[in-house]
Amino acid sequence: MNFFQRKWWPWGVLTVLCLIILSFFVLYPLVVLFNNSVRDESGALSFAGFAQLLHDSQFLLALRNTLVLGVCVTLLSTAIGVPLAYMVARYEFPLKNIVAVLPVVTIVIPEVIVGQSWLLLLGNNGLLTNLLGYVGIELPSFYGWTGLIFSMTLVYYTYIYLGVLAALQGFDGQLEEAGLSLGTSPLTTRLRVLLPLMLPAVAVNALVVFSLVVGNFVLATLLGSRVPLLSVMTYNAFVNEMGGSPLLQSAMSVISIIIVGIVLFLQKRVVERKLYAMTAGRAPRPTGVRSGAALLFTGSVGLIMLFSLLPLLIVFVAAFTETSGPVMRWGSWSLASFTRILHSAPGPVINSLEFASLATLAGVVFAVLGSYLIIKKRNALTHLLDYIVILPLTISGTVMGIALVQTFNTGWLVLAGTSSIMVLCYAVRRLPFAVRNAASTLFNIPDSLEEASISLGVSPLMSFFKVILPAMKASIISAAILMWVTTISELAATIVVYTGGLETMPIAIFRQVDGGRLGLASAYGAALITAILLPIIASIKLFDIKLFSTR
Amino acid sequence: MASISIEGIKKAFAGNIVLDKLSLHIPDGAFYTLLGPSGCGKTALLRCIAGFYAADAGRLLFDADDMTHVPTHHRDIGMVFQDYALFPDKTAFDNVAYGLRARGVTRAAIRQRVDAALDSVGLLDLAARYPAQMSGGQRQRVALARALVIRPRVLLMDEPLSNLDAKMRMQMRDVILDLVQEARITTVFVTHDQEEALAMSDKVAIMDQGRIAQIGTPEELYGTPASAYVADFIGSANIIPVSLEPAAEAAATRRYQLSGRVLDGTAGAALVDGKNAILIARPEELTLAAAMPRIANAVPGAVLRRQYLGFKTAYRIQLDDGPEIHVDLGAGNRHADFHPGDAVQVVLPPGSRLIRGPR
Repeated sequence: MNFFQRKWWPWGVLTVLCLIILSFFVLYPLVVLFNNSVRDESGALSFAGFAQLLHDSQFLLALRNTLVLGVCVTLLSTAIGVPLAYMVARYEFPLKNIVAVLPVVTIVIPEVIVGQSWLLLLGNNGLLTNLLGYVGIELPSFYGWTGLIFSMTLVYYTYIYLGVLAALQGFDGQLEEAGLSLGTSPLTTRLRVLLPLMLPAVAVNALVVFSLVVGNFVLATLLGSRVPLLSVMTYNAFVNEMGGSPLLQSAMSVISIIIVGIVLFLQKRVVERKLYAMTAGRAPRPTGVRSGAALLFTGSVGLIMLFSLLPLLIVFVAAFTETSGPVMRWGSWSLASFTRILHSAPGPVINSLEFASLATLAGVVFAVLGSYLIIKKRNALTHLLDYIVILPLTISGTVMGIALVQTFNTGWLVLAGTSSIMVLCYAVRRLPFAVRNAASTLFNIPDSLEEASISLGVSPLMSFFKVILPAMKASIISAAILMWVTTISELAATIVVYTGGLETMPIAIFRQVDGGRLGLASAYGAALITAILLPIIASIKLFDIKLFSTR
Repeated sequence: MASISIEGIKKAFAGNIVLDKLSLHIPDGAFYTLLGPSGCGKTALLRCIAGFYAADAGRLLFDADDMTHVPTHHRDIGMVFQDYALFPDKTAFDNVAYGLRARGVTRAAIRQRVDAALDSVGLLDLAARYPAQMSGGQRQRVALARALVIRPRVLLMDEPLSNLDAKMRMQMRDVILDLVQEARITTVFVTHDQEEALAMSDKVAIMDQGRIAQIGTPEELYGTPASAYVADFIGSANIIPVSLEPAAEAAATRRYQLSGRVLDGTAGAALVDGKNAILIARPEELTLAAAMPRIANAVPGAVLRRQYLGFKTAYRIQLDDGPEIHVDLGAGNRHADFHPGDAVQVVLPPGSRLIRGPR
């Protein structure tokens, strides 16, 4: 007993408990998924599913399209994100400060709303399409490659921008000065000194974007009706195989996991090793630019910001625009869409709030405990915990949803059809963000704080509550907000697992867009954005904290 | 208040031995310093006493109580950390009250004891401040008050002064000594600063690679170092290999050869009869004389470098047929002034200690 108490209580016991829970809800469903991909109808081992896919021209087309889309969006995002980061890091120009809101904006605007709002503008019945149609200009159809590449680039360039900006700000300006002092011209110095040091940071973030594009379901399905893509095809296979053997959906899921796995392997093994450790030097001061250049810089940054923020505006405008069936009567205002969703169909609003609250609560509790174990109680078990916690990051929402449904549809624990599986989807998918957020703060809390408490006669467990939790307050709040914002806008996994009565706001938006009722979709969109923004504004006012400062 | 007995404590991390069957007795009420360079095991020993590390073998006693398996929060210790470890979300008052609250002291008694503790470190006015609003010295005082207010059996301090600037460090030495002496509490103080150790301690244990190199009062360690390691660590010393002249057993004065001359020295405790010995001579114990006339107990050499430092002048001398040697001449020694290239004689006092040399 003494041994048990000293060695295992409380942290060892809690570590094992966390491992069991995570293994059951994250690892086990993946095992089920992999297993299902190699079983035929009778349950015997068979690679028929993969064989069938490799001979299916539609599937091969979707696979090729997905990879082409990934490359295109990654290249375009890099082409926008890198110059933007360079301008912001190195130059001073009018209105530069507006870019500070970018990281928050990307997290806050759900993809489903980005897709929907660009459809409102450029879709078949879109505002701009109609306007230009009057003057006789025919726009290319937004459904397909144009819309996919355009909207995904606008969603994902911020990842590259933020990553490269961080690298540029961590760059030691003395290195460039050293280059200049050794006699290379400013341009040559940048090419020979700055560029090689920045390339790995660009590559790391480009690979992240690539894997996100491959896994993207929301924009792919909203805008890509004419372009077969892997994620949409996987979802369709899931819908078609409902009630039957889940062979094809599992095989496709496994293939997309393998693609992302290869990308992440490249990132870890090849690119991250090339990241250089730099002594934290002073980044060079931004230089001021004048007249022509300033106009160009401000203009281009302004344009990018406008495109990023436009969806917010459009959704609210559309929510209050009169509709008749699928037709938007732009310019005439009405509260009809709003009253309709609030009176006749408030289910999605209530569901979203309920599921997101529960997932946030569960996620934060788990994130605080998990990150504490991972950072402060390092051992082989917590190392394992670290790996499993991050795992959901590498799995697309659709695949995660399919794995959860396959696992919890039957057996001794049936969650399918209950609100638990929605909450589970939310919590599992977004847990990595919350854990990383909490962990970054814990890194900065010295071990001596806890030791001081213990030395003053307070037990280790109580010290955690009395000393560590208060010190983590700010990061708990920001982890909660992060959980809230990212769960309430989740669609890719919950669209797979939801059943009647469990509809959430993003699902409602998706279905209304699908049915062509953009007015109702916009009303749900406005409600969703309000539900996202209110807690953020409230917490900034109440707790006076800097959100996402670690990013 | 308790004595501390450490009996054969062993500790290794991943096969790397940091405490090697170490034994030590710290008497009740002593101000006891663990001194050594980083990695010598002094902090590991302190953390074993605190209970943050569980020893792999050996016993730890406070008086006659076996504490080896008692968890930290039941050991009744006070600890002052290098980074102070003040709780950032609590005021100075609440930081100091923390340990009392854990002990279930009544509200009124807490108020009175915390106020008294803050008063004793001169911070009663700042009771409502948060750590971020205080200077390094003030934080240090709060940390000290927090550790002492619980009236622990032993006070453990882990390099508490190393984050302060030089002036504040001197001030805090006095503050710590006053408080500790008033409380008559057994104190274990870890430092790598030999001056701090000499100035503050009743006793010092010098550590080397997980073992005790020498234990003694500051005077003993400086005056009669048992090894070249100790001599080099405490103060500065010329450590010179010499060859011994044969002599009768247990003679206090021994003759040795250096640079072709035969000189008198004093046998240290660890001197074993044999040909090789090490001579330990503090630079300030040596004097310089002109090359001629030849004088007793001196060796010839030439001045390599002269550094004027105000209160003293430091010389580097190249001995003829021998090593380099450092000689400090005090400012009062005005008639002896030499310059690079001058031929001189280095006068070694017969009190210079001879210890066991390499075999």
